[in-house]
Amino acid sequence: MIANRGEIALRINRAAQELGVRTVAVFSQADRESLHVRQADEAFCVGPGPVPRSYLNIPNIISTALITGCDAIHPGYGFLSENARFAEICADHGLTFIGPTPAVIAAMGDKATAKRVMHEAGVATTPGTGILADAAEAREAAARVGYPVLIKATAGGGGKGMRAVESASEIERAFASATAEAEASFKDGRVYMEKLIAAPRHIEVQVLADGFGTVLHLGERDCSMQKPSHQKLIEEAPAPNLSPRARDALHAMAVRACKHVGYTNAGTLEFLVSGDDVYFMEMNTRIQVEHPVTELVYGIDLVKEQIRIAAGEPLGYAQADLVARGHAIECRVNAEDPANGFAPQAGTLSTVVFPGGPGVRVDTHIFSGASVPPYYDSMLAKIVAHGDTRDTAIARMERALRETVIEGVNTTIDACLRLLGTEAFRTGVYDIGFIPSMMHDLRDGAMVASQSER
Amino acid sequence: MPDQEIGPGTRVRRLAEFLTHSDAVRVRIVRPASDVEVARAVRAAPSSPNPTGEAAAADAEPARVETIVADLVGVFRLGRPTPAEGAVLAGDRELGYVEALGIRNPVRSRGAGRIVAIAAADGAPVEFGQPLFLLDRG
Repeated sequence: MIANRGEIALRINRAAQELGVRTVAVFSQADRESLHVRQADEAFCVGPGPVPRSYLNIPNIISTALITGCDAIHPGYGFLSENARFAEICADHGLTFIGPTPAVIAAMGDKATAKRVMHEAGVATTPGTGILADAAEAREAAARVGYPVLIKATAGGGGKGMRAVESASEIERAFASATAEAEASFKDGRVYMEKLIAAPRHIEVQVLADGFGTVLHLGERDCSMQKPSHQKLIEEAPAPNLSPRARDALHAMAVRACKHVGYTNAGTLEFLVSGDDVYFMEMNTRIQVEHPVTELVYGIDLVKEQIRIAAGEPLGYAQADLVARGHAIECRVNAEDPANGFAPQAGTLSTVVFPGGPGVRVDTHIFSGASVPPYYDSMLAKIVAHGDTRDTAIARMERALRETVIEGVNTTIDACLRLLGTEAFRTGVYDIGFIPSMMHDLRDGAMVASQSER
Repeated sequence: MPDQEIGPGTRVRRLAEFLTHSDAVRVRIVRPASDVEVARAVRAAPSSPNPTGEAAAADAEPARVETIVADLVGVFRLGRPTPAEGAVLAGDRELGYVEALGIRNPVRSRGAGRIVAIAAADGAPVEFGQPLFLLDRG
């Protein structure tokens, strides 16, 4: 059973069908005409468009799995993928949840717990605190950690409940607003504090772990090209200009951490990197959007590996067998308006043309005439380019983006092209502050582009 | 897809079939997610000097057919005594149930009417929103 929608539902369907595994898709009433509904062996509507009543509707999803005789559930990313309770419910009904154990999901899902566990495993973490009881404790902690600091929601994600604090005069207000926002967003107002690392890079390590104690890493991805909302826009593997020392440290820490927590299946450890200093940020206990760049560089089908591991098979290869080849870049094509702060767009796609040719992969669920419902994530496609060198991959990516035509909604294609063309991207010297610093240029660029079309 | 595919095309085809075998000329199914309206072409008698037949047909009260749909995913079971197509229900009645996660969720007629069609087979897996019964509310 594929408990997801969009491109990742298709991606899982492809892996399963290539393995000879029959698939059952679930869908909402807004997704009835979607490709994952057509391509799965069976498909069941589990609710109306809004996510809580369909893709998060655990009773209907479990019921579908049971009446269709499914053995396992692949949750994809988002939705139920990091819901420990859902993983438990699957087990209670004799269904294999394709991912780590509920206990590991729960431990890693709570950011403060995850940090403590990683610290125990000898993984470097940002200097910081546990849960802060009140503003007075926050003031005391900030003085100890040293400004600037970051107040973060323990249940957080997507920048919600997060506040950067430059000086002691702002601490009380920041604590109050972060707590209120976390409470409103996650029904959990607990926050903790970290030292704010200036201009860090976001670099993450892909791991695979089987049920027999084998833990392997598949190198790193640089995901520093992030929108102001911290959502990633361009990812690449391997990370450019990373010192061998930092790279080895990242890989070793990721493997050590997974062994320490008894991790199984595919996962990603996210780190902040500043020079040669690396700090663990969080662990994602699922497949990630940007997994294709790793697949192209290592020639491994990560989703197939997830299914094989969940079926109780050993990985069957060793770290030395995993050799990175070339360079891969992914651009996310979202239905968003970069000129308007990347505001999401809904509508009908009148024309859709995707690129092809050597070294180009497109993971998408859209087609000409498809509608983009307002209920879901705005990502329309992932365009991935692979080349022997980083320069080849960049040239391929630019060529592929220029071949792409999507009419009916605004997209991030032009913004990606502009970012690829910057000196910072060309030289591979950029950090997570780069896109936020480019927002004015992206807005102006979009205006110039729309004027020249007329 | 489950046994009973309920794409909009199928729903309209099924309605059209019902229409050709009934006296109604227009049927409207009002549901929160999607309204469906199907009308039957009515030819005026060739001998008639003016098309009163068509006008009269258009004015005729459309049959009020309501679809009772599954509101959760599970296995559909007909109730006992088994409801039959054509049966007239005097009031609210339990027509069957959808069994999900070991719980029987009743399917009720929610009022009087005539069972025009039983749209799902006894024992069939049903999805959210799948038609189970078509009731003519008269």
